[in-house]
Amino acid sequence: MTATRTVQTDDTTKPGRLAQLWLWSARHPAVFPAAMIVITCAVIGVVNPDFLHIANLFDILRASAIRGLLALGVFVVLAAGGLDVSFTAIAAFVMYSLTLIVVNFLPGAGIVPILACAALAGGVLGAVNGLLVNALRAPALIVTIGTQYALRGALLSFVGTALFMNIPGSMSAFGQMPLATVTTARGLTVTLPAYVLLTVIAALATSWMLNYTLIGRAVFAVGGKPEIAARLGFRVAHVRVFVFAYAGMLAGIAGVLHVSANRLANPFDLAGTELPVIAAVVLGGARITGGSGTVLGTMLGVILITLVSSVLILLGIPSSWQTAILGGFIILAGLFFARIDRMILK
Amino acid sequence: MPELPATSGTPFLETRALHKFYGGVHALRGVSLTINSGGSYHLLGENGCGKSTLIKIISGAQPASSGQLLIRGQDMTGLDPIAALDAGIETVYQDLSLLPNLSVAENIGLSQQLVESSGRLFRRISPAQIDDVARRALSEVNLPTDPEFLARQIQTLPIAIRQLVAIARAIASKAGLVIMDEPTTSLTRREVRNLISVIRRLQESGTAVLFVTHKLDEAREIGGTGLVMRDGELVQQCDVTQASNAEIGLWMTGRELEQGRYRHSPVTPPAPLMQIQGLGLKDAYRDIDLTIGAGEILGVTGLADSGRNDLAKSLAGLAPPDRGKVVLEDRPLDPSEPASVISAGIAYVPEDRLTEGLFLEKSISANVTMSVLDRLRNSLGLLNRRKARELTQKTLDELRIVAAGTEAPVQSLSGGNQQRVLIGRWLATGPRVLILHGPTVGVDVGSKDTIFRIIQAQAENGTGIILISDDLPELLQNCDRIAVMRDGAVSRIFTAEGLEEETLYNEIAGSGGKTAREG
Repeated sequence: MTATRTVQTDDTTKPGRLAQLWLWSARHPAVFPAAMIVITCAVIGVVNPDFLHIANLFDILRASAIRGLLALGVFVVLAAGGLDVSFTAIAAFVMYSLTLIVVNFLPGAGIVPILACAALAGGVLGAVNGLLVNALRAPALIVTIGTQYALRGALLSFVGTALFMNIPGSMSAFGQMPLATVTTARGLTVTLPAYVLLTVIAALATSWMLNYTLIGRAVFAVGGKPEIAARLGFRVAHVRVFVFAYAGMLAGIAGVLHVSANRLANPFDLAGTELPVIAAVVLGGARITGGSGTVLGTMLGVILITLVSSVLILLGIPSSWQTAILGGFIILAGLFFARIDRMILK
Repeated sequence: MPELPATSGTPFLETRALHKFYGGVHALRGVSLTINSGGSYHLLGENGCGKSTLIKIISGAQPASSGQLLIRGQDMTGLDPIAALDAGIETVYQDLSLLPNLSVAENIGLSQQLVESSGRLFRRISPAQIDDVARRALSEVNLPTDPEFLARQIQTLPIAIRQLVAIARAIASKAGLVIMDEPTTSLTRREVRNLISVIRRLQESGTAVLFVTHKLDEAREIGGTGLVMRDGELVQQCDVTQASNAEIGLWMTGRELEQGRYRHSPVTPPAPLMQIQGLGLKDAYRDIDLTIGAGEILGVTGLADSGRNDLAKSLAGLAPPDRGKVVLEDRPLDPSEPASVISAGIAYVPEDRLTEGLFLEKSISANVTMSVLDRLRNSLGLLNRRKARELTQKTLDELRIVAAGTEAPVQSLSGGNQQRVLIGRWLATGPRVLILHGPTVGVDVGSKDTIFRIIQAQAENGTGIILISDDLPELLQNCDRIAVMRDGAVSRIFTAEGLEEETLYNEIAGSGGKTAREG
């Protein structure tokens, strides 16, 4: 009889206290951005007690809404083991083309059909990414770099280059619709716009989809090990098309939100904002290698980025500092999550 | 031994003249077999004989090129994984096919949800049902069923437990046939015994079990029909309890295999080649004193946590020791990094050839010549391709590696051949000391024989060999001396000649059985 290597079952299925803490952190990566947010707020609060005012919370949420939608899409693609960098191009293409169409042909269109059209158009463009990744058997990053350039080029060549401010009334109204209003000590009125709800709903829906549907678990299965997922009967090609279409859909919606909030449609907008969005997702605990992360973590990652990059401006901290602080956080996130992996992976 | 249900039940699965081509390779050449409900079968054969291909076809992972597959008398040729699961065929793959980032419960229970939805993904799942299925299956294999364990990610569990989880998944639904591809490689004896009793229960309820295995002892313990394959054909069916190792070896390889000790010329007196003096590494091993003579084969064994793996890594420059020293031919060795160890003349063939050793997608030539590139330079300092090809061809010939050519990617080879490529690379460096870590894990008897002969030939040439292994017959067949490690220290050194396996096993396990290594 051959002796085989021995692992003591009883010890390894009952982890110790510290091991349990690491395992817990691995399942709840949102603790990292949450901790960073608390620390940042505490530091700012000490320096400038005025900061801890509900008005600033409104500002942060408003500034996070669009990036939040984009980040949800990036996260879903990343969870399935892909990487999408074309989402800003999709958002720009959809927002500009759609606004142009509505202004010229359907000036009376309501916000709901506009959002639905944006979601559909974005979804179709995203699905093309997925189909290309499947057909070319190429890395998603390369494919989406290609589609990003192609879409941006198509937008500027065939659709238009001029920004315009006479956006449809329904969009402009949607952008200004208030959810809540506060007045600061200095008498400024700060509004929390209603469109923030759209991001909250999208986050809840995404979280439900990922955790309580087969497609959601399939996303993580494919992100973990695609060849094994296929062997177990998950249709990997379907999952790929789905995640890119999902990201495209959210990007389309984010595009309309962008126009509505800024009350202008500029085809040059959103270009080059991919990295902060991807950074937010990574800060939220999704590994760049796929198969991990949570919606809560992603959302907190977005808020952390907004906190550092826009709110610090209000406090008069130079933007070069913000960049450095952000870089520090990202490196810290890398260290933290790598440490978790080292502690728990066998 | 209790009577097992004979293989006289009703046919569950039948294959008729299955053929499979991969490009130009004819992997299956007309395999026809019948598997009866409640029977146990052992698919035996060398690596690359077509066992894995046959299993992939039966489990729906790949279609056959021609031939028929019948399940319960119905033609199911060309079924996909979900159809196979639906028809009651469950597979425990050798790589376990667990999703590393999903929980234990999901790995066990998701398949059923997928089958219920016929593969359509836009469906809600029922976490409660997943947990239920998982709890039932886990208790069958004596794993914990508490919520915390159900939620554990597979990648945080040790390999033996993963193996049990994979088995739990296979028996979670009432399958008609459970296929297990080397299900015991990482299990302890106790766990193997537990698995065998699980299998008996399965058989009593009418489930057929098909094993792919290299372990004939375990096959005999389970009993049933041996299906012996060679070169893509089913060459022999036998009662595994009746056939001898020699007979089975002959059917598998078509040649006689060495059953006793492989003997190389005795080393007298053993000229000391390498001396390990008081070597220690915190939390791993301590006070290691070993001497390896020129031409000597020293076995090192012990339980997985005995420190033997860390010692191997230290000698390879992968885990620098913090105490003691290693002297190789009177020169102290700098074990701080692999490069210095290699240049001192030590070659280390790691245990996990797939992740630690080989560049799978690269050619055999690239893999073999990797560590000797500086010797293959031409006058301009560039790589001399002809020399590289010659060296690779020589390695292929000497190590009897079966391959389509020197430029074939390593991943196109069978496991035994891959292992030989890895050994070939290190032999090309002309090492003074060769450290082999589990050289025949997952390798069939025919390849084992070849690898042992290579090891013996190296010893004959005066290379000192350290063979780290937990395969006791392998150690007894090959080594001059065997050092047993326990709790991080060498507990005893045996002379291998005449040593009983039981004696060696007891020393490894320690008198108290389970090892305690707290603090």
